[in-house]
Amino acid sequence: MGEPGTVPCAGAALELEGVGFAFGGAPVLSGVSLRVEPGSFFSLLGPSGGGKTTLLRLVGGYLAPSAGRLGIGGRDVTDLPPERRNVGMVFQNYALFPHLSARGNVAFGLEMRQVPRRERGRRVEAMLDRVGLTAAERDRRPSRLSGGQQQRVALARALVIEPALLLLDEPLANLDRQLREQLRGELKALQRRTEVTTLFVTHDREEALLLADRVGILAAGRLLQVGEPRDVYHRPRCPFVARLLGDANLLPIASAGPDGVFLAGGLRLTRLPDPPGAYAPGQRILLRPEGCRPGAAGEPNCWPGRVVASHFLGADHVVALDVGPGVTLRMRWPSGGPPPAAGEAVQVAVPPEALWLIPEDDPEGMADGPS
Amino acid sequence: MVPPERRNPWHLLLLVPAVLLLAVFFAGPMLLLLRVSLFAPAGSRGFYQPGTWTIGNYAGLFTDGYFREVLTFTLLFAAGVTLLVLVVAYLLALFIHSLPPRQKALALAAVVLPKLASMLVAVCGLQALLSGAGPVNELLLALGRAGPVQLTRNLAGAVIGETYLLLPYAVLLLVVALGRIDPALLAAARGLGASPWGAFRRVTLPLSLPGLAAAGQLTLVWALGAFVGPLLLGGPEETTLAVEVHRQAVENNRWPAGAAVAVVLIAAFVLTLTAWAALARALTWGKRSWKADA
Repeated sequence: MGEPGTVPCAGAALELEGVGFAFGGAPVLSGVSLRVEPGSFFSLLGPSGGGKTTLLRLVGGYLAPSAGRLGIGGRDVTDLPPERRNVGMVFQNYALFPHLSARGNVAFGLEMRQVPRRERGRRVEAMLDRVGLTAAERDRRPSRLSGGQQQRVALARALVIEPALLLLDEPLANLDRQLREQLRGELKALQRRTEVTTLFVTHDREEALLLADRVGILAAGRLLQVGEPRDVYHRPRCPFVARLLGDANLLPIASAGPDGVFLAGGLRLTRLPDPPGAYAPGQRILLRPEGCRPGAAGEPNCWPGRVVASHFLGADHVVALDVGPGVTLRMRWPSGGPPPAAGEAVQVAVPPEALWLIPEDDPEGMADGPS
Repeated sequence: MVPPERRNPWHLLLLVPAVLLLAVFFAGPMLLLLRVSLFAPAGSRGFYQPGTWTIGNYAGLFTDGYFREVLTFTLLFAAGVTLLVLVVAYLLALFIHSLPPRQKALALAAVVLPKLASMLVAVCGLQALLSGAGPVNELLLALGRAGPVQLTRNLAGAVIGETYLLLPYAVLLLVVALGRIDPALLAAARGLGASPWGAFRRVTLPLSLPGLAAAGQLTLVWALGAFVGPLLLGGPEETTLAVEVHRQAVENNRWPAGAAVAVVLIAAFVLTLTAWAALARALTWGKRSWKADA
């Protein structure tokens, strides 16, 4: 679209340029820039209070940004009210209209668009087929539907208007675990089939990583990192992101020289992914628990340790190792052999490809990180 | 299994205070009223002739063209005032509901505050406000009206007075009803393409119908028994049943006739409330199930 007022960088389904929002003088979001490609699934992950919901409300048009521009489908929507943005939203509590049946809820958006009755009926039924609501359930009011059914109706209601963008505000948070796992599979399949660009907000890292083509980390009102889930997980930009995405051993560097890196607690690393000059004291190295393996004494990058605690977690077995004065390492014990009991001595080997030098410190004003 | 209450009949004792209260302060006076309405009117002395039984008081009422006028006026007046109260209260409640919390509390206090003063004080204030030389007429004159408008001792006065007295109850009920509507529903409606007006019409209005029904019912009961407004701000034309009870019993010393009017008024309450309940059910589609978990 070449009309005036379009965002210069057309082609992105959603584009944020330096978006900021302040409430009562205090910044809630600052300088958020983001591009979401058409048809992709973008997860926005962050702790509660980090500004996720505010960002979603800005995109939906329920709040006006105090700085920056917003574009949807190549069109500048910064000054448009929600009803003119063509965005479908699934609210955390679904926000289904209690006085309308499931069918009435789904038909609402089409009625507002003055879609003729016959076509409306056809599209409503087709969408309810897609989300898998039975015929009997379609006449029921939301209060007579289960949480999972309500979620499906909310999704159908948001999708039936064929939105340029689908916003999901923790839509799985209110469901029990089993249903959540089933529904997120369905959600992903539905998104693939409809190819609707989706912005998904969650504080559940597993959900964010599983569903997303790309994931953004939002904390303290700033977008800390954007990338593919695997990339952000293995190569976090700062310690906060490392801890947010999973169990993380963050090992501070005590000294670095040509013959290796010494970590706090006297641990030595001779094989490193980067040239020795890249490492400097004060930086931290990330080692995920699943990156370690049992080793043999004398191997390079191998440390003796003593098991402090041994946790059976079902699919995984995680042991906490005391590997030096004041240094505890969490390690996923490989399946196959019996895991060591507390008090046992073990050797732990660290392959260089499991190490990641965290390039940046947490930005100013961040809390100590997620607990 | 025997329910615990079957095993021990003494639990019925717990009902005694409530039953006693109802009997002494509600059923007793009602029966007394009914009995008085069936006495023959008093001669030169006393309130009525004890020991007599007659339906003459009722027969007198219904053959009396004046009473029929009073009855008709009362019903129309109540309906009109209720409609006016609902419209004004709904607009006011929507406004108050839209305010930020602090201003909302202030506005609600302002609505309730007049109720802390005696009703008579409030009505005297209204009389001064609406009088020929009062601020309202001064304003109208300043706006270019030729002469003062008569706003007391007529129908306008009675309606304004009664509406003013009944407004706070309806406003309170409606603000509560609007507060129960999840704001996310309006956001959802807007996101689905509804204009602010469309969201109001399709979401806020239907979801506040139960509140409107409750406010209407309460207002209607009060308006049917309208007394102070018509008496002090209306003229002789604006005689409601309650005013008529007062005239018969207190001014004319005709207790049996007054009691008969009162019984008719109570019958009007019962009939209107029943009709209202049916109307309210129709308005909310007779299905309140969605309210249960709202």
